[in-house]
Amino acid sequence: MYKSYHKKIVVSTLFASAVFLSTACNASNEAKNTAETKSAAKANTEMNTEGFSKRVTDAVGPANAILSDTVTNKYDFNGKAIVDGGVYYPIINGKTGAYHANEQAHKTPFNKGKTATANEQAAWDIDVMPDGTGLPEGSGSVEFGDEVYEEKCLSCHGDFGEGAGLYPKLADGNAYEGQKSLMNQRVNPDSDGPMRNFGSNWPRASTLWWYIKTGMPHQAPMSLTTEEVYALSAYILYINEIKIDGELVDEEYVLDREKFLKIRMPNHDGFEPAIDGPMGQENARAYYNNPLNYGNGKGRCMKDCFEGEPEVQRITFALTDFTPPLSSEKTMPEVKETKAAHPGKAAYDASCAVCHETDAMGAPAVGDKKTWEATLKKGLDGVMANTINGVNGMPPRGGSALSDDELKQVVDYMISESK
Amino acid sequence: MNKINKEELEVISEVSEQASRRNFFKKTAAYSMSALAAASVVAPVAVKANPNIKINPEDDLNIMHEKPWSLKFGDDVTVNKYGMPSPYEHNVTRRTTPILSSGNYRASIAVTPIQDLSGIITPNGLFFNRHHGGTPTINPNEHRLMIHGLVEKPIVLTMDQLKRYPNVSRIHFLECPANGGPEWRGPQFNSIQFAKGFMSCAEWTGVYIKDILKDLGLKPEALWMLAEGIDNSHMGRTIPVDKVLDDAMIVWGQNGEALRPEQGYPIRIVVPGWEANLCVKWLCRLEFASEPFYAKEETSKYTALKHTGKAIQHFYANEVNSVVTSPCPEKPWTDLKKGEMVEIEGLAWSGMGTITTVDVSFDGGKNWEEASLKGLVLEKSWTRFSIMHEYTGKPMLLSSRAADDAGHIQPTVKNERAAVGIEGVYHRNAIHTWEVDAKGEVTNVQILS
Repeated sequence: MYKSYHKKIVVSTLFASAVFLSTACNASNEAKNTAETKSAAKANTEMNTEGFSKRVTDAVGPANAILSDTVTNKYDFNGKAIVDGGVYYPIINGKTGAYHANEQAHKTPFNKGKTATANEQAAWDIDVMPDGTGLPEGSGSVEFGDEVYEEKCLSCHGDFGEGAGLYPKLADGNAYEGQKSLMNQRVNPDSDGPMRNFGSNWPRASTLWWYIKTGMPHQAPMSLTTEEVYALSAYILYINEIKIDGELVDEEYVLDREKFLKIRMPNHDGFEPAIDGPMGQENARAYYNNPLNYGNGKGRCMKDCFEGEPEVQRITFALTDFTPPLSSEKTMPEVKETKAAHPGKAAYDASCAVCHETDAMGAPAVGDKKTWEATLKKGLDGVMANTINGVNGMPPRGGSALSDDELKQVVDYMISESK
Repeated sequence: MNKINKEELEVISEVSEQASRRNFFKKTAAYSMSALAAASVVAPVAVKANPNIKINPEDDLNIMHEKPWSLKFGDDVTVNKYGMPSPYEHNVTRRTTPILSSGNYRASIAVTPIQDLSGIITPNGLFFNRHHGGTPTINPNEHRLMIHGLVEKPIVLTMDQLKRYPNVSRIHFLECPANGGPEWRGPQFNSIQFAKGFMSCAEWTGVYIKDILKDLGLKPEALWMLAEGIDNSHMGRTIPVDKVLDDAMIVWGQNGEALRPEQGYPIRIVVPGWEANLCVKWLCRLEFASEPFYAKEETSKYTALKHTGKAIQHFYANEVNSVVTSPCPEKPWTDLKKGEMVEIEGLAWSGMGTITTVDVSFDGGKNWEEASLKGLVLEKSWTRFSIMHEYTGKPMLLSSRAADDAGHIQPTVKNERAAVGIEGVYHRNAIHTWEVDAKGEVTNVQILS
């Protein structure tokens, strides 16, 4: 999604580029010089005017006094700083913040519901964790994965995982090389951005298995067998040129549970704070209680906060493709005649809308009058032939099991909605 | 009366044979509304109420002439069993745009027209709506919530059983962490709805998860909770137990009624102040574990890539933020005359606490004045601010800057880019600026000073 998304907006940012380059460099130096981790926020901490302010409790102005009448806040919870760097509102004298509370209600045991049976838990416990919890025994080959991919994934994710329209890329060449792009900043319209796909960006492989099993294909989640999921995982590792335990996942590779658990993603260590292990939550706590890690204001300057005139960055490429178009008019809406549902609509919704709902896939979008006029220049027979045999990124019959007659109704529906 | 036709008169007469003249009129109304309306229409509609008044050119004809809706019956109380806004408000809607979709409108977002809202509550039909596999229609009688993992007693609750827990109602905003995210490298949307409308605020009613956990016995090694939905996307997110034991809720009520399907009917989780993506809709399962889950929205999505090449993961709270809502590109000052007083109004919010101050600048952030807070000031909620201004007709750069009781204040665009870079996508909370030109038109800009 990101690449094409940002391609559109990169045009506008030429102006920002030069400015950004200098500030970015300053920032990394500042961060190195001034970064420090605060164990717990304290009231009236000195303002750090050199870099970004530390968490400066009660230092932002006299209006803070309004809090004392109605709100009691604390900067710790169970003896520790708040995990998100924010504040905690305990119940004091029957009130938490501005809200009254029935304290008795929060002390009474209720014991509602029934004990979850082992079977019920097994049926619903669909997540797959990095340590292999939830990952079933099984295997699948790259070769079989290629077949399944072609049948069930290609229409959205492209021939080799390059994505289609705004559907996500699954690979962008060698993932280890791609990982190095994560420092890229598109400071110029033609500069390369960071590659944020599975291979180059994701921290753990377990997410891939979990995602495919429970979310894909988009229109039919939970429909793939364990072997298909292993095979598709293998295929996606293959197109990302991932190595498992030193061995390249090639066309011959057969993935199984044991091998899967040995995958170490190229960007395994590319995320902060470190959340694994018994200290994971403590690391998050320390991280978010130091705003230097994620940016914060420089304090509450009121006068002459910068020198000279403000430097203004204006829109150079406005995004205006809004549905419905912006309007503040107070008018009666146009009355549209209500039609009986078209016989092709149900099949369209079930099998075709995923690609044809917008033009994001390059498929003629239903409702796009111009594109359909152009499409229909090849004649209805031509359109039907393409529908049945496939065309460009579209598989035969759109990957559906619809009959010729049903497809004809669908095409008729799509045309009637695009006039 | 002479306009009621004979047939109708006969019906009425039968019923009211013995009735007084007074009752006869009442029954005419009840039995023959259309006839009565027709009777009124016969008299000329567009006449002044008082024939003795001669209309002058400076008189507003909307006052001098009777309006059709004042001369006939309106709809009776059974017409709108669930009330809807006036048809004249049909342009007040959620909106979307293709670049915010991952291929189709089932994995997409529809954003809130904050330019049209007043106060701090978003009507349920306008609440921003982001989902990953379409909005399901769930039968609440067949829906279950499972809580398991590192607890002594794993349980399953029906919706009725869940609602027997003592409930709390809290006003909290929910904000997509990508609110403002398309504008890291410069302004793109000349619209407040798209620049800042990936958020809404409502009163949520539900149960604190900590109140249920009392019954279950959370094991000491439990550090993380997975919240998972049962829609097409089976979306899950990892939440630290600290937050679960503070104020995370399972909610079924939104602004006094059941959650809308788009908001997770019958139940969702609300994690006050934190990324709305963590507030999993169509909630079916909470699982406690000693290690984080690494869900699909904890990868390249919902992590903020910094210029160091490292990305912030588990980025919880939406930081302190604000925007002037009036004026804005959709609601400009083109009707104002020099010397008129006008209220500048806006929204401020912080996922870390309560708004303490909002400052407004008329020169792009060089000099600031403190605005008034207005209405309710609640933690992790939208907060209104207001400052009066004498309109001069001179161009200006209008900015707002909020601070919260956690000690945070909004960064300048320059500061934030310096700290994070321009590829972060998520958690952008830099000071927002509108440029107001000499005609009163309003445009989205960024100040790089």
